[in-house]
Amino acid sequence: MKGLLLIGGKSSRMGSDKSELILRDGLTQKQRGTALLKSVCDEVFISTCEDTGEPNTIADAFGPIGPLGAIASAQKADPDSAWLILACDLPLLEKEQLEILIGNRSSSHDATYFSSASDGLPEPLCTIWEPTSAKAVQSAVAKSKQCPRSVLIQLNGHALPSPGLWPLANTNTEADLIEIRARLDQSTTVKNITVSYFAQLRELTGTNSETLQTDTVTPAGLFEEIRAKYQLPLKRKGMMVAVNGDFTDWSHPLSEDEEVVFIPPVAGG
Amino acid sequence: MNSEFESMFQLTDQPIDPRILCDAVRDPAAGGFASFEGWVRNHHQGRDVTALEYEAFPALAEKEGERILSEIITKHDIIAARCVHRTGHLQIGEIAICIAVSAAHRDAAFDACRAIIDTIKSTVPIWKKEHYTDGSASWVKCHSCSEKATDHHH
Repeated sequence: MKGLLLIGGKSSRMGSDKSELILRDGLTQKQRGTALLKSVCDEVFISTCEDTGEPNTIADAFGPIGPLGAIASAQKADPDSAWLILACDLPLLEKEQLEILIGNRSSSHDATYFSSASDGLPEPLCTIWEPTSAKAVQSAVAKSKQCPRSVLIQLNGHALPSPGLWPLANTNTEADLIEIRARLDQSTTVKNITVSYFAQLRELTGTNSETLQTDTVTPAGLFEEIRAKYQLPLKRKGMMVAVNGDFTDWSHPLSEDEEVVFIPPVAGG
Repeated sequence: MNSEFESMFQLTDQPIDPRILCDAVRDPAAGGFASFEGWVRNHHQGRDVTALEYEAFPALAEKEGERILSEIITKHDIIAARCVHRTGHLQIGEIAICIAVSAAHRDAAFDACRAIIDTIKSTVPIWKKEHYTDGSASWVKCHSCSEKATDHHH
């Protein structure tokens, strides 16, 4: 099996190249991801936008269309190999999870992946893509339907139980990064936080309010925990959050006894 | 609805009487009055709507509503503004929101009234559930609002 590390294009949400972030072991996310893949794969490649001519890189053969284009490019480069595709921005991922993935690999399926802790759907960017998945990948690329997760859902995939919320947590936003750094520093403490729910969130959770014990450090992390607890079909993007009765940022540092309200897109007037 | 109308923005679970808002912004210096009423209509995106439900996060809705009206009063040359938003179960034709603005001149009154409704729709934590003729119901997604929410900084 070959490994492909996705280092992302321009990371607009973080405002800097997340593959060059150094979060642990003095390694950039790119270096750490490469080392993780090398520990379990025969050969490891890095996905690049342009053809750099450097060894062990695979340039996007279908333009800058994101992760699915990179997967299709790897399968084009070697259609006979299975590919372990890994995003570089999973700082809490350990070799252990990759070993579980590989140990449970089923080559009679098109892909082997973990289920997401939040919604049970496939986690596409830590997935073994078998050669039999190539047709669906190419067809999605051709149709400009470029979401790897929706391709995995259509395939005959082998879903493994979720490894939990944190091993596959990514560094998409500043709040994600704060949450992940707190885990790496082991600076999290357990707090009691009261969460009140309104409208669709009240209906989906079946409660007006609850007090939760959480070791998350931001409303962003807390929302991910609640999303996993109730399997909520809502994402943070587009939502707002209030703490102690006023709007705040997703990276607000949570403290004991604070009151949090998550605010899905509003529709007054 | 409080007939005294001391706060500029209010939530109410009772039918809205627009005359009370009009009286609340009346002023000898006012030469123009503009108002907006949002009514419950019987259709949305091709579906027949039978009734609506509005639910608010009351403490923050009132705080944010008040903040929006204060900001708009400062920005536009207006004398007074009031807004009341209904909550609970509403029938077709009922008033969901009513805004009243008075100003020395009409331009400011029209502009402020428009700015108030647009801002309230995008940031005040109030949600709308539509009930349809087939008996189903769903919370309305407002896409332009979710785009704004991403850039929302307080």
